[in-house]
Amino acid sequence: MMANWELLKRLCAARGVSGREDEVRELILKEIGPYAEKTEVTPLGNVIAFKSGEKRAGTKLMLAAHMDEVGLAVTRVTDEGLLKFSCVGGIDPNVLPGRQVLVGKRAVPGVAGVKPIHMLKKDEMEKRVPAEELYLDIGALTKEEAEAAVSPGDEATFVSRFCAQNGVLSAKALDDRAGCALLIGLMKKRLKYDAVFAFTVQEEVGSAGARTAAFAVEPDAAVVVEATTAADVPGTDRNRQVCRLGDGPAVSFMDRRTVYDAEYYELALRTAEREGIRCQPKQAVTGANDASVIHISRAGVRTVAVSLPCRYLHAPAGVVSQEDFRAAGELLALLAEKIAGKAQRC
Amino acid sequence: MEELKQMLFRLCEADGVSGDESDAAAAAAKEFPPSAEPETDRLGNLTASVGPKNAKTVLLDAHLDQIGLIVTGIDKNGFLHVDKCGGMDRRVMPGAAVVVLGRERVDGVIGSVPPHLAGADAEKVPEPDRMTVDIGCSRKEAEGLVRPGDRIVFRAQPRALLGTRVTAPGLDDRASVAALIRCAQLLAEKPPRCRVLFQFSTREEVGGQGAVTGSYRADPAQGIAVDVSFARQPGVEPEKCGELGGGPMVGFAPILDRALGERLVRLAEKNGIPYSREVMGGETGTNGDAIAVTRSGVPTATVSIPLRYMHTPAEVVDLRDIENTAKLLAAYLLEAE
Repeated sequence: MMANWELLKRLCAARGVSGREDEVRELILKEIGPYAEKTEVTPLGNVIAFKSGEKRAGTKLMLAAHMDEVGLAVTRVTDEGLLKFSCVGGIDPNVLPGRQVLVGKRAVPGVAGVKPIHMLKKDEMEKRVPAEELYLDIGALTKEEAEAAVSPGDEATFVSRFCAQNGVLSAKALDDRAGCALLIGLMKKRLKYDAVFAFTVQEEVGSAGARTAAFAVEPDAAVVVEATTAADVPGTDRNRQVCRLGDGPAVSFMDRRTVYDAEYYELALRTAEREGIRCQPKQAVTGANDASVIHISRAGVRTVAVSLPCRYLHAPAGVVSQEDFRAAGELLALLAEKIAGKAQRC
Repeated sequence: MEELKQMLFRLCEADGVSGDESDAAAAAAKEFPPSAEPETDRLGNLTASVGPKNAKTVLLDAHLDQIGLIVTGIDKNGFLHVDKCGGMDRRVMPGAAVVVLGRERVDGVIGSVPPHLAGADAEKVPEPDRMTVDIGCSRKEAEGLVRPGDRIVFRAQPRALLGTRVTAPGLDDRASVAALIRCAQLLAEKPPRCRVLFQFSTREEVGGQGAVTGSYRADPAQGIAVDVSFARQPGVEPEKCGELGGGPMVGFAPILDRALGERLVRLAEKNGIPYSREVMGGETGTNGDAIAVTRSGVPTATVSIPLRYMHTPAEVVDLRDIENTAKLLAAYLLEAE
């Protein structure tokens, strides 16, 4: 089976730091246009798309994936023409030194520079670069030259080539363009029951998008589709790996902000088992996502999360398994059908 | 400047980690006409020459190699164990996208432990040989693609920044390789009376062995080592630096020939080429140190291109400094007998 990596590649290449999701939104609107009965953009920028199935849903289901990615925001232009910045979302500053970035709407190239190794004291060599020493260099030689190209508030995104090789994918922003691609994939299929698809903004900075999208849609149930930390890497013991690449999508029973609907959690695992789809429980209470605000929207929304295991989640190049992506697509389709097909008990 | 940029980018896109410089050598050789007789020697150094064959030889050296990583093993889950190859700055490694130069080019990512899992070591960056490269393969698959000894480079494309500044991994020392090629182009218009031997030497980042044997073979009357040096940037002492756009840095150090240095300075002033004096108390840390003590000794100078963020994948130079370095070298060679 050949999945459409071309779409995922374009989604990952689109630049969309939290609050600046325009490029991603345009791409998604264009892509889903032919498959949705109706699409709307909410005041904060969420895309909400309605798709009819063969039958009316017994449970009004919203599937959600977030459009935004972690990145940087320029805070000040220094006298030397360098850019100071803040992290937008949970970036580990350890991965910044030496990276290429694109700054602002005009995508001005730059780099995150550090002191050369030849001029470091021994203890500096071993320590991570202090956050206050980091800056971006766009090649400006003066403050004026920099200010003509960028302004405080401009976002900066990582640059990284999309790679599909050896059964894995690596790219920036797989969290959560992989989720967006899975939702779009589902929209392109024939659905048994009506469903609402929400592509949300600002997940990485507190889920203001999902909060307002859930209010607008008013669903009975929700499936949050995201990418989650896979720490199955050398030096992390088995108990702290959260989930593993190649073992299928991870289903959460609980994270730092949400206790998931127990029945749906069981349903997801059981469905996968019955259909022979690889699937794993997320084996740690870590992270949080749009579910945190969706499940407490209005009078409450029964919520489940299906996550794609992703190594190096908030770094310039995440790594996911192509097999896990396919399995997540299959599981989502079945889960949506089972949830939407059943009448709500209350 | 556009042509120079394109040439520099072609050079930077070739891989050439220390001891494995053949791609970089091939890319540089392509920039010379057959009349310059580009050839490779036993240790992989590339040479090309212009000017009369029986005249005395002026050696211009720039090193071909760049820093990188080297695969040392494959673990039971297919992750690659690595070590540094040259003076790698470990702080730029976590999370970096890389290409493993195995049986084929294999994309990988250097592992980083998420901060919430790093615990007490969160402030430390592990040593390069404690980090691993993830190519997404099982051990068996990995063994079919990669062998210990394969080199690894950063997965970053050369890019134009504002003005005439550019960034690319390996500008140390491809910027100087480009300057030498540009110098050869200038000399094609106006041939020198001396014989100019362009030497693109190997293994500078691991000890300069290429320059040692290459310079012996060249047996030059004079030598100029062209390399990159520090450009002013935050956190470094300004007196140890040149400046982006400030022109070539002419070296003065005990090991170097003072008269040769002064002559370069005089020529820069005469030709209106911006320059700065780079004073070093001991050795120069360039191939100049090896060239100077070749055979019974060679009067040697260094000319350096200012560069920011040395030994990271984010190195930055100003194209004008490359062009001005080429001009200064050409002016010198046209005067040399």
